[in-house]
Amino acid sequence: MAIPHLHHPAPPGAPSSRPDLPGTDLPAEPGSDLRAEPGSFRDPANRVFHAGQDVLRALDETAAAHWRALAGSDFFPPLMAAGKVCGTEEMPAATAPQRWAAVLRHDRIPFVSHPYEWSFTMLRDAALLHLEILREALPAGFTTKDGSAYNLQWRGTEPVFIDVGSFAPLREGEPWAGYRQFCQTLLYPLLLNAHLGVDFRPWLRAQIDGIEPDQMGRLFRGVRRLLPGVLTHVHLHGSVQRRNAARTTTDVRAQLRDAGYSRELALATVRGMEKLVRRLDHQPPTSHWVDYQRTCGYSEADRSTKERFVTAALTSAAQRRLVLDLGANDGRYARLAAAHADYVVAVEQDPAVVDRLYRTLRGEGERRVLPLVMDLADPSPGGGWRGIERASFAARTGADTVLALALVHHLAIGRNVPLPEVLACLTALAAPGGRLVVEFVHPEDPMARRLLANKPDGLFPDYRRDAFEALLATHGTVEERWELPSGSRTLYRVALGG
Amino acid sequence: MNHLAYLDAGSGSLIVQAVVGGVAGVAVAAKLYWRRLVSRFRRQPTDQS
Repeated sequence: MAIPHLHHPAPPGAPSSRPDLPGTDLPAEPGSDLRAEPGSFRDPANRVFHAGQDVLRALDETAAAHWRALAGSDFFPPLMAAGKVCGTEEMPAATAPQRWAAVLRHDRIPFVSHPYEWSFTMLRDAALLHLEILREALPAGFTTKDGSAYNLQWRGTEPVFIDVGSFAPLREGEPWAGYRQFCQTLLYPLLLNAHLGVDFRPWLRAQIDGIEPDQMGRLFRGVRRLLPGVLTHVHLHGSVQRRNAARTTTDVRAQLRDAGYSRELALATVRGMEKLVRRLDHQPPTSHWVDYQRTCGYSEADRSTKERFVTAALTSAAQRRLVLDLGANDGRYARLAAAHADYVVAVEQDPAVVDRLYRTLRGEGERRVLPLVMDLADPSPGGGWRGIERASFAARTGADTVLALALVHHLAIGRNVPLPEVLACLTALAAPGGRLVVEFVHPEDPMARRLLANKPDGLFPDYRRDAFEALLATHGTVEERWELPSGSRTLYRVALGG
Repeated sequence: MNHLAYLDAGSGSLIVQAVVGGVAGVAVAAKLYWRRLVSRFRRQPTDQS
């Protein structure tokens, strides 16, 4: 199972050792700051933990032997050099805690995201990378023990396979153990979106193990059975599963071996799935957000003023590790931020907008902007075992600068979130000592008036500039304040805390 | 017991991979089912004795 490399070493104020969490039987060295990753417990052969900023993976004896064989193989080092597999090195033997035979150190993933925060094309590219890695591994005599979407993370718009502990020697005559997981967390969500136009994200967010073949089967009745990939990977899969439910996988593996299942067949299956996944496409319906930059009523003077303000805010920031661009839309300011920061996470609620942004950024080879689909009024909660196996969005952030441009009115008026709550949310996403760059759209602005027109009169008496500024003062110091030329919008740069 | 397989790969999910692997794979799946069938008939006399 994949192990997310938490961006934030620990939630603020969290103790370094939490005995109630799964996986904390990992022997923490007395006096060390080893912290077991709550998402890493399914495969007992290896476990990820954090030590300060380092992401480490402890291996038992068998896993250590597999790692050494992997590191010495022909296929693995080139994948790692190409950035397709997370950069990994073995630590000196003395660093291994008791019970573990070896420790690996992984390159840090700048920001951990979950598949239900990815756009369609992101999920497809992640699936293709997983299959490519398996296709490279099989001829070299290796396989992956699982096939989960959580095996993948991102470096900007480049997917990265992070679960180095998943590689194991191939047993001749055995099919891929990760096929079911691959179907449930990658292939089925893609089929759902490509064939039916149904958003896969709510399914993946609600079910950590993905979509069951039987759930899929009910959605693909009648002629829909004939859509590419459905008859075999969904219906036949579900039916063979039901008929063999009483048989153990050990027996079935032996039967398949005896019947002549081979590595070549496994490769043919992988190639077939690659062909299928590559063909899957989804053109999302155009939403008004797609054209938002053109239709939102900004003048060119407003835009250039905003760009200068954002640039000045970022170039004057002491810390420029992570910038969070909330309500990123076409990524104009996220790109600007990427010129002055190590990494930018561009959050946007519209999947069509994010997919378009992802494709554009990927075409440009941009590796410092990660676009994510998320509604800020309904951010990713914690998921999986005890609700911490997959960290919530709030637990993963900690940005040096939070950009909230043309956003506050959508939350405050569009979603009825009280203004103090909006600001509490935005500031909580910043690291201690971080900065907030926020735009306030005055109630008389055409966009604000359009939103207000959909709500009863007098519903938002506190949506006023003076109230907003008073709230800002409770969160930090306003270092800079600019009026946009249109006269109905104000930009603020706030040093938080203190 | 295969200790590498920490994950339940699913018996049906293993078999269906043969079928999606093309003609040669279908042959493997057919062979598997044929052998199951044959072994059922073979076992019967033993069970009765």
